[in-house]
Amino acid sequence: MAIIEVNKLSKTFKVKLKEKGLKGSLKSIIKPKYKEIKAVKNISFQVEKGEIIAFIGPNGAGKSTTIKMLTGILYPDKGNIKVLDIDPRQERKKLAYEIGTVFGQKEQLWTHLTPYDNFKFFGAIYDIPESRVEKKIKEFTELFEIEEFINTPVRNLSLGQRIRCEIIASLIHEPKVLFLDEPTIGLDPVVKENIRTLIKRMNKEYKTTIFLTSHDVGDIEKLCKRVIIINNGTVVLDDSMENLKYHYLNKKIVEAKMKEKVNLDDEEGITILKDKGYNLKIEVDTKKRSIADAIKLLNPDNIVDINISNIPLEDIISNIYKKDRK
Amino acid sequence: MLMVVKNQIRITILSIKYALMREMLNKTTFITNIVFMILNNASFLIQWIVLFSLKKNIGGYNIKQVILLWGIASLTYGLSHFFFKKAFDLSETINNGKLDVFLVQPKNVLIQAITTDVEPSAIGDMIYGYIMLFIYGISLKNFLLFTLFGICGSLIITSITIIFSSLSFWFQKSDLIVDTVNRLMVNIATYPDGIFKGLTKILLYTIIPVGIVNYIPVKVLTEFNIYLTLISILVTILLVLLSFLIFNKGLKRYSSSNLMIART
Amino acid sequence: MKKYIFIFKSEIMTNFQYILNILTHFIGTFILLFIFLNLWQYIYSDPNKLINGYNMNQMIWYVIVTEVLWTSVGARQLSRKISLDVKSGNIAYNLNKPYNYIGYSLSSHLGSISVRLLIYIILGIIVGYLFLGSFPNLNIINIILVLLSGILAITINILFTISIGLLSFIIEDSSPIYWLYSKLILVLGVIFPIEYFPKVVQPILNYSPIYAMSYGPAKLLIDFTYINFSKIFISQIIYLIIAYSLCMLVYKKGVKNLNVNGG
Repeated sequence: MAIIEVNKLSKTFKVKLKEKGLKGSLKSIIKPKYKEIKAVKNISFQVEKGEIIAFIGPNGAGKSTTIKMLTGILYPDKGNIKVLDIDPRQERKKLAYEIGTVFGQKEQLWTHLTPYDNFKFFGAIYDIPESRVEKKIKEFTELFEIEEFINTPVRNLSLGQRIRCEIIASLIHEPKVLFLDEPTIGLDPVVKENIRTLIKRMNKEYKTTIFLTSHDVGDIEKLCKRVIIINNGTVVLDDSMENLKYHYLNKKIVEAKMKEKVNLDDEEGITILKDKGYNLKIEVDTKKRSIADAIKLLNPDNIVDINISNIPLEDIISNIYKKDRK
Repeated sequence: MLMVVKNQIRITILSIKYALMREMLNKTTFITNIVFMILNNASFLIQWIVLFSLKKNIGGYNIKQVILLWGIASLTYGLSHFFFKKAFDLSETINNGKLDVFLVQPKNVLIQAITTDVEPSAIGDMIYGYIMLFIYGISLKNFLLFTLFGICGSLIITSITIIFSSLSFWFQKSDLIVDTVNRLMVNIATYPDGIFKGLTKILLYTIIPVGIVNYIPVKVLTEFNIYLTLISILVTILLVLLSFLIFNKGLKRYSSSNLMIART
Repeated sequence: MKKYIFIFKSEIMTNFQYILNILTHFIGTFILLFIFLNLWQYIYSDPNKLINGYNMNQMIWYVIVTEVLWTSVGARQLSRKISLDVKSGNIAYNLNKPYNYIGYSLSSHLGSISVRLLIYIILGIIVGYLFLGSFPNLNIINIILVLLSGILAITINILFTISIGLLSFIIEDSSPIYWLYSKLILVLGVIFPIEYFPKVVQPILNYSPIYAMSYGPAKLLIDFTYINFSKIFISQIIYLIIAYSLCMLVYKKGVKNLNVNGG
């Protein structure tokens, strides 16, 4: 059974247009003009239990709008949403007991209190009995390795420590789905890595479905098995991470430094990206041409240095955005 | 149902307790705020001493009744601004999309939104209120009635503020109206009703309900009147219900609205 | 020609919001004035009767002047700003500048409140006329002298406020002092003329800054005589000197501390 079911979802915003000059601003007070922005256009997807799904797209693609509709903050104009078989529009409160949310940029914790007191507070918000809260706090303290600072006021914690506490606070009521909106924003690489490991561990242990939005390709690559890419309000790709990589990873970049000049032209399966005489950069489509073939073409005896690499995921994704724009 | 109410009360008390703890981090500032508010209110007594030297009766009040009026005004202001400080910033909360945090919690959005902060100086107002009652003349009956009217009045002030703030769901600039209504309520609350006439008097028993918050209590404490007491309680209940109704109507609009106002 | 219209328009737009803010701030003052109108109408059962030498119209104009003088200064923000300058050490940068810090603060604040003051004066006159239907009886020279006295009153207030802000050099937090100062002026200077207070207190008030800062200009507006003017003017000059000396005294002492402690 799908945990999240989204069917032909649409949301349009009206944005007040401000005309130029004095006349314009007076006009906009009396009779404002609006521009319609279709934030989300007819999107459909499903998320299965226990999945970690990445929901990505450039700024203004409709990610936040979709998350807000899934959590009941915003109502859709058209289409249906079912999260755990609950319609967020009709039973916001009931849904709230079942889901957790972490918005990377918005803090939910009381900064003058310790994480421990905060967790107790969230336990109370979700009507969890004291003993159960204590048990949960103990579990998560170990899982997320926060023993050291569980009694330090949140305002004295580092950003990475805080976000760990934010995540725990949203897990106290054992939600079945966790929405993570940009959880690693502003963190340094080491801390990011650490948070990812912890999220993964949590998913494994509790089978919590995780719906993640991020700008950070690392988050997606390390955490998710499935990716939904959204751009200009439509789903442009909904595929497994493996497929995504497979489709694009069959292309390799070969960079070679040569002893002698080679004359090479584009041919079946080979694209010249850069040719500076002694330095070459070519893309090889391994479905059509093997790497060995490509190296043969270059004449192996002439190669001084060679580097064969995958196309970075970041480039893959931005290619998908670009393609969509055309 | 009962469980829901009980849980809501539990979380509200916890919210207020935590907010108070935050204010008490700096003890000196906390206590200074309270003491200065008491002194501040007391300084206005000079004005009344001068006024009563001109006339024995001002707007139907003698000096003792003015003291009582000050007591009621301080207590209602103190209670509403201490417990529901954020109700007075509700317009801003709505306009800046800050309600989202409360919308993902399984609790009442309005109650959560208005109880996340407290005003320490309002404690000074509450204390001053009871000092004034003490000067007026304290008895068990007076104490109970005074407290009852304090609770009713603070709920009325808060409800009126919520109702006007909820206009922000429809019109962005409505914080100006909230501000003006509040200023009117606060400033008029300490002057006897006899000095106002005509349209002003009608306003004082309707949109700016200083009449119900302040004048009825003074009347009832001077001479007990069960009907006025009941009217006061009834108005409180009606206004509280109305404030929830209007806020929730606005909240629906907030969620289904297509207007993008600083909401990212 | 077009570009000048454009410049004119964009200037208006930037100021439009600013003026709107001033107008909304005046709402609070208007409410207070409205309450006082009701209060005095009640107390003066006969508007022509004199109480302590004032008729009802004079009492309303008195409060209008003192309210405008007090609220247009924005003393609270000024004292905070000076305190902040002292505490943040900003003031140290001004030490080697070729101007005097007090003079700089005074002129900069006077400049920043000038538009507000002008609007408040106009609004005050409108409100007074709406409430009472008449203006005080003044000729053009009187009006100029009243304005002069008003500006002197505001200057004295600003200087005292600066000296309170500068007290942050010496004491941790000067806001209680500011509070006391503002309370004294509001309670003793804004609501009633000095004649309303008990006979024993009156001489003290007459020699206090309240006479120069609040009572003086208001009294001149409702009852202009050259004798009054000269008394008030002399008092204002004396308090101007006192306030300025106070500023310099606190400032010098503060800077001395600063040098000893190395900031």
